[in-house]
Amino acid sequence: MKTPIPHIVAKDVVKTVQLTGSELTILQDIHLTINQGATVAIVGASGSGKSTLLGILAGLDLASSGEVYLAGQPLHKLSEDERAELRARSVGFVFQSFLLLPSLTALENVTLPAELAGMPDARARGLELLAQVGLSHRADFFPNQMSGGEQQRVAIARAFITKPAVLFADEPSANLDSATGEKIEDLLFELNEQQGTTLVLVTHNHELAQRCQYRFQMHAGRLAADLTQTTEDKRHVG
Amino acid sequence: MWGKIAWRLFWRELSRGELWVIAFSLFLAVLTVVSLSGITESVRSALYQRSANFIAADKILRSSIGFNEQIQQKADELQLQSSRQVQFNSMLFAKDLMQLVSVKAVSRGYPLRGELKLSSSVADPSLVAALQPNQLYLESRLYSLLNIKVGDSLELGEKEFIAAGVIVAEPDAPLSVFGSSPRILMHLDDVAATGIIQPGSRITYRLMFAGSQQDLELLETQNKEQLGPQDRWQKMDRESAIGGALDRSERFLLLSGLLGIVLAACAAAVAANRYSQRHARSVAVMKALGATTTLSRKIYGSHLLFVVIFSVGFGLVAGQLLVQLSQWGVALWMPDYLAEFSVRPLGLGVLTAAICAVLFSARPLWRLAAVPALNVLREKPDQMKFDPVHLISGSVAIWLLMWLFSGDLWISSWLFVLCLVFAALLMGFAAVMVRVAKPMAAGQSSALRLALANLRRRLWPNAFQLITFSLALFLTLLLYFLRSELLDQWQQQVPEGAPNQFLVNLTEQDKTSLQQLAIQHNLELTEFYPMVNGRVLAVNGENFADEATKEKPEQRQGVGRELNLTWLNRIPDNNEVESGQWFSADSKAEVSVESQMAERLALKLGDKLQFSVGGQVFDATITSIRKVDWNSLQPNFYMVLSPDLMQGFPATYITAFYLNMSEQELLNQIVRQFPTVSLISVDTILKQVNDIISQVSVALTFILILVFASAVLVLVAQVQATLEQREQELAILRTLGAKSAFLKAALLYEFAALGALAGLFATILAEVLLAVVQQQFFDLPYQPHWNLWWLGPVLGVALVTVLGAWQVRQLLKMSGSTLLRRALQN
Repeated sequence: MKTPIPHIVAKDVVKTVQLTGSELTILQDIHLTINQGATVAIVGASGSGKSTLLGILAGLDLASSGEVYLAGQPLHKLSEDERAELRARSVGFVFQSFLLLPSLTALENVTLPAELAGMPDARARGLELLAQVGLSHRADFFPNQMSGGEQQRVAIARAFITKPAVLFADEPSANLDSATGEKIEDLLFELNEQQGTTLVLVTHNHELAQRCQYRFQMHAGRLAADLTQTTEDKRHVG
Repeated sequence: MWGKIAWRLFWRELSRGELWVIAFSLFLAVLTVVSLSGITESVRSALYQRSANFIAADKILRSSIGFNEQIQQKADELQLQSSRQVQFNSMLFAKDLMQLVSVKAVSRGYPLRGELKLSSSVADPSLVAALQPNQLYLESRLYSLLNIKVGDSLELGEKEFIAAGVIVAEPDAPLSVFGSSPRILMHLDDVAATGIIQPGSRITYRLMFAGSQQDLELLETQNKEQLGPQDRWQKMDRESAIGGALDRSERFLLLSGLLGIVLAACAAAVAANRYSQRHARSVAVMKALGATTTLSRKIYGSHLLFVVIFSVGFGLVAGQLLVQLSQWGVALWMPDYLAEFSVRPLGLGVLTAAICAVLFSARPLWRLAAVPALNVLREKPDQMKFDPVHLISGSVAIWLLMWLFSGDLWISSWLFVLCLVFAALLMGFAAVMVRVAKPMAAGQSSALRLALANLRRRLWPNAFQLITFSLALFLTLLLYFLRSELLDQWQQQVPEGAPNQFLVNLTEQDKTSLQQLAIQHNLELTEFYPMVNGRVLAVNGENFADEATKEKPEQRQGVGRELNLTWLNRIPDNNEVESGQWFSADSKAEVSVESQMAERLALKLGDKLQFSVGGQVFDATITSIRKVDWNSLQPNFYMVLSPDLMQGFPATYITAFYLNMSEQELLNQIVRQFPTVSLISVDTILKQVNDIISQVSVALTFILILVFASAVLVLVAQVQATLEQREQELAILRTLGAKSAFLKAALLYEFAALGALAGLFATILAEVLLAVVQQQFFDLPYQPHWNLWWLGPVLGVALVTVLGAWQVRQLLKMSGSTLLRRALQN
């Protein structure tokens, strides 16, 4: 077994926001190391700060203090544009509300990150991924012509087109009925396994969290516990 | 790489209808500018060409000493057409009879503009003739005054001439000929042989030019040092009814064009804002996927650029087509009209589009690219906040446009400040009204209550909407009322049945027979104005200088020449006493002076003027200064004497009547019956004024349509901007079980309330501004507009409700689940 390489590292991360007259702490005391190829779930109730953490780990937002490393790059020292370039190269996203561009077709949505990263053969690879998610016949459809499940499958294809080192998923099945949601989750884990991507998943769904190797519980802005060791504890699941 | 993405997104956005409002607004702005300035230019050049007919040239250099050969040479260098004219008074002899005549000697090429009609028969004006050397063409009354016929021999100075025919029409016949000597026309080459021109003779030399306006302006501006004190450029008569109409219509067209453009620009700004709001999510997604801010800026900046190119292209073509159409229309009305192509309107169109795009629309798109990537994780992304920079850039743009179109820094700044004050007032009003809506809502039906609650909840967006609605309605109303008022005013100037035939030089005897003739033919004669020719010799005992000096070149013009004097008991209709008192029954030795002449000669109340009439000299004291409406086609007098002064002077009379075009035969009868009377027909002038009025009214209607279209566009853009929010609210209300009919009623009430408020504000604003514009810009008297007070609110309610309902109709048709799904996706 090869030595695990730390892929995402957060050291003493704090996030505060200024409100009128007061300061609100959203995240504090976050220490986290995620190795390459690991699948990690961050679970927590609504408002616990899990999406904020995801944003900071993915370089969408900056921590108020502390250090964050993504694929060896110190995110806390990079400019906004440098972070954007890092995301283009190394990060994929799947969002709760799919977030496809409404004016682009399914195929164009899939190829967009590849085009932004200046990758060749974007179209061929996009068609291949659409086939993998079972949507070859929908390549020229616009988002509003597709069901929610189909849209999320397009979003998954989009997330993998740049062969990202890390994939961040924010409640990927929360807007879907349970049968469709499950299919989407299957697809996500399947592609993840194929490509050996590091997966960081934010969810309040413990069943989904169970499918990950590591689970963390967020509570009131703190990373309360690594649940991995307590997977047998049925009180936290279902 | 980004180019490909940008281009693809652009086409998609265009076909999804996302960019149409911006595109259409810019298109409308360009169309308005190009067509308005193009049409104004065409109409102006047509009117200019038409007015040129009245002076038989485009430009005239008058001199009292001789032709200015240096100017002639410069004109030849500029390849302008030119002709020469000499005017003087002299005695015309026919055997033992003689008559003082006003002689006009013209060179070949006369007239450069307009048409000269000569006839070889006194009885039949249709026998066309042309002027040759050794010939004289006479005003028809001279044939009876001198007891001659065509072909007879005449003497003018030392030379003998043949009476070759009559002058039927000359383009530059003076309009104020009431009572002047009979006119004759001769060839310039014959003047020397008459020996009339001696040093000291009172002669007017005219160098007449025609050509492009640019060259004519060059001729005047570049050769100022070549002019002596005796030379003067003759301006086209701005005092005439036509000059006034032209001035007013020009200002009006520019002002209203500006309103349309500002509206279109506002629509573009609102649409750009909405576009940014709608695309904030997409930009956040792209940035999350790795696009930098610079890249997003390039992509969305290029969208604006494509839209501008697209709109400007279509706007220029459509605008130019309209200009061509109007030129074609002008040519129908004026067959000799020479259409000129001008790039100025096109340039102005491009400049306007650039200003609108950069200052109204670029800012929201600039901000759009700055949307943080983090927004992808927010369930409800931040609404883009109020942007003071956008407000400032928009205001600067409006001011720049005002400046560009008025060409007057003062007027544009004044208008701009006025707009700011109005906007601030409206904002305050709107806030108060919307707040008041809550107590009003209590006890109302639930749909109305929901509508009022909606209004109140979106206080500031609604206040802003209210301002734009009000401004859009206000501009439409303002234009509508100003248009009809101007048309009314003009038509009043030449009312139906206004006297169009003037009879001058009537004797006491003629007076009686004419009255009989009038009764016979059912003609309505105006008052008989008595008239004598006289001169003013001195003011307060000080003689007027005979020679014109450079400092006071007007002096000789004003007083040295003969004046038509009249005496009246009551003040003429178109006159108004500015200062002093009109004559009373026991007024003795008084005179009333026209205000402009009083100003020119520095005359004031109480000054004593010395007159000479028929060799007799007498004094009169100025007891009133009158303002005369020179636009009215009525006999007007500079000096009116109190009746006591003129007892015993043999006078002739002027009168006028209206004659239908179909009864022209009667004119011939009058000419035959009263051979010594001059008949002056102002039919042609009246027709020209009417033609201009109808042209301008077509242009005004066209502008009204453009402004209305822009106003509708603003309303559409504004309602569109709230569609997403409405969709979400509807989704929630539908989910909560609200019935479609209830929601529909609530929406309609909301729009109706907004429309009514906007209509009311618009009405108040329009009434205030109408008063200001009427008095300050157009010199019209103020009158309240009662129609406005119902039309404004009704138009507001109807327009806003219909447009609002039309735009949300799709939303209302959707099922609750569809709405919910769409709302969640947004």
